[in-house]
Amino acid sequence: MASKTMAAPPTGLAAKWRRWRFHLSALLLVLPLAYLPRYFDDLALSRGEKGLGQREIGQLAVGPWQVRLAEWRVEPPLPEGEAGHMKTFTLGLCADCISQVKAAYVRVGKPRSLRTAGALFSGSPYRLMASVPIPQRAGADAQLWLTLEGWDGALHQAAIPLAQASPVTQAWLARQN
Amino acid sequence: MVSSVSAAAADANGLSPSREADEAISALGRPAGKKKRSRSKLWFLVHSWLALPVWIFVFFVCLTGTIATVSQEIVWLADPAVRANPPAQDAPLLGYDALYEAVQREHPGSALQFISRPVKSQFALTVRVTYPDATSASLYVNPYTGHIQGQSSSFDFRQFMRALHGWLLMPFTNGFNFGWYAVAFLGFPMLASLVTGLVVYKRFWRGYLRPKLRLRQGARVFWGDFHRLAGIWSVPFIAIISITAIWFFVMAVLFDNHIALEDEGPPLIVAREDVPRVQAGQRPPLISLDRAARIAHETFPDLEPSFVSLPSNAFDYYVVGGRGAYPLMFETVSINPYNGAVEETHRVSDHSAVEIFTDSMRPLHTGDFAGVPLKLVYFFFGVLLTMMVFSGMMIWTKRTVKETAAAIKRPRRTRGAVPARPSAAAAEGHALRGRHG
Repeated sequence: MASKTMAAPPTGLAAKWRRWRFHLSALLLVLPLAYLPRYFDDLALSRGEKGLGQREIGQLAVGPWQVRLAEWRVEPPLPEGEAGHMKTFTLGLCADCISQVKAAYVRVGKPRSLRTAGALFSGSPYRLMASVPIPQRAGADAQLWLTLEGWDGALHQAAIPLAQASPVTQAWLARQN
Repeated sequence: MVSSVSAAAADANGLSPSREADEAISALGRPAGKKKRSRSKLWFLVHSWLALPVWIFVFFVCLTGTIATVSQEIVWLADPAVRANPPAQDAPLLGYDALYEAVQREHPGSALQFISRPVKSQFALTVRVTYPDATSASLYVNPYTGHIQGQSSSFDFRQFMRALHGWLLMPFTNGFNFGWYAVAFLGFPMLASLVTGLVVYKRFWRGYLRPKLRLRQGARVFWGDFHRLAGIWSVPFIAIISITAIWFFVMAVLFDNHIALEDEGPPLIVAREDVPRVQAGQRPPLISLDRAARIAHETFPDLEPSFVSLPSNAFDYYVVGGRGAYPLMFETVSINPYNGAVEETHRVSDHSAVEIFTDSMRPLHTGDFAGVPLKLVYFFFGVLLTMMVFSGMMIWTKRTVKETAAAIKRPRRTRGAVPARPSAAAAEGHALRGRHG
């Protein structure tokens, strides 16, 4: 069989296959081409050219301070090992608050004290980021709690329904339960 | 059996010198030699098959990696804003505080996050800032005047080449992406190619003493000579690149499976009681950037501070870092921004052997730890490696084409003697040639 193949050289498709099979890995180069738009999209997001995040949730009053909250990416929480499933939110402080607010925290469910206020927002005061664990057993009425702490020690809180803060997270929770 | 096949194949190829065919036939009577030869044939087949099926991909990765090595220098050539031209011969470099003020003067309201002073003095400083509209930018700042000369555009060539080379531009949504794995995996066949190449190239050390690059004997001979010559001179480079790439692969596997080689412990934060409490409407003063740099210098006199990272929240530190005596790793000092206390230091001596090994992998791969001359060395060997992938493929196709032509010409003679794949015959022909240098 093998010798026959050689004796009568392959023609048509078979010959093409023999000749071109070693160049097939060029198909992998479709990947960078396909991901090119997404690459620049992500770059624009990280440079803040798309705003605070992919989906702005809106303005919130936390005590005397006005903040803007956004979903960094419109996507369900991502599994991060033992930490559980994490969801990233971004926060922008109003111009006047920057010098007054010492720290901002976020968590799902009402914190009992400052020690359990949740994930600490970090980054530039114009765009702070925090990854908050989303408990898989959180109910449909789960709320996202923001805690802001002033340099003088003052604490202020605000809550919004998780369904409003991140509809995809709410949908993801519904699938978990 | 194997010898008779190879003899017939060499004959059928019509390209092996008859001396080799004779050798192959006479090997029939020498069982030891036969065994040795079939083993080297096997090694040759392995060597060929390691890269050939994916050669375009390997070529692409080598080419983009080579460009990525000097991408910073390409940007330097293309964009005058990233150059650091001193206004006068003996102009002093500005301190961090003066830089901070200069940036604030030109871009009021910007929030500084990071100042980096490139090891190469011909480059402008990079200052990362965020603006009130939540946009951020990397500014190129003249180290002598503090003038903002420009900023990285939305198309950052350096970042783009790195992303194209390292992960095919694919997004990192959850852990390492397919692109990263696909590229890093090539470290395995590359290292195996290096080893099998040296096994197949008998007495390769003679190539160092008597380099051979025949230009006028056809493409096949030229590419063959080139492949061997470039190969032996690139042994350390290929070893470095492939081993570091394998580490990138292993690192991704460890990360995605949440396996930590070293227990990093909880992240360092400023103790709550160390953060001063002040009256409403005020904020506690931070120590100046220059003072932070001075404290770092006093802590480690031989540390050349090349970057300062500003606190990203109320419990974060100034991190001042630079390269010390061991050039492959950054040494850092974490300084309490309220009272100047040194809270943590990361010296090479503070690291375990495992950490020193793993942290050295990236600079070894990119060659960005000793200025432009080393980058040019990396670039040169990168070009050679890229050409080796190409020449390997050329050797293969030239031989296969000739051999197919021969097979067409003399179908009767070769009937029943030629192995199933033309490639195998070609490999054997080459194994014989390789044996004779």
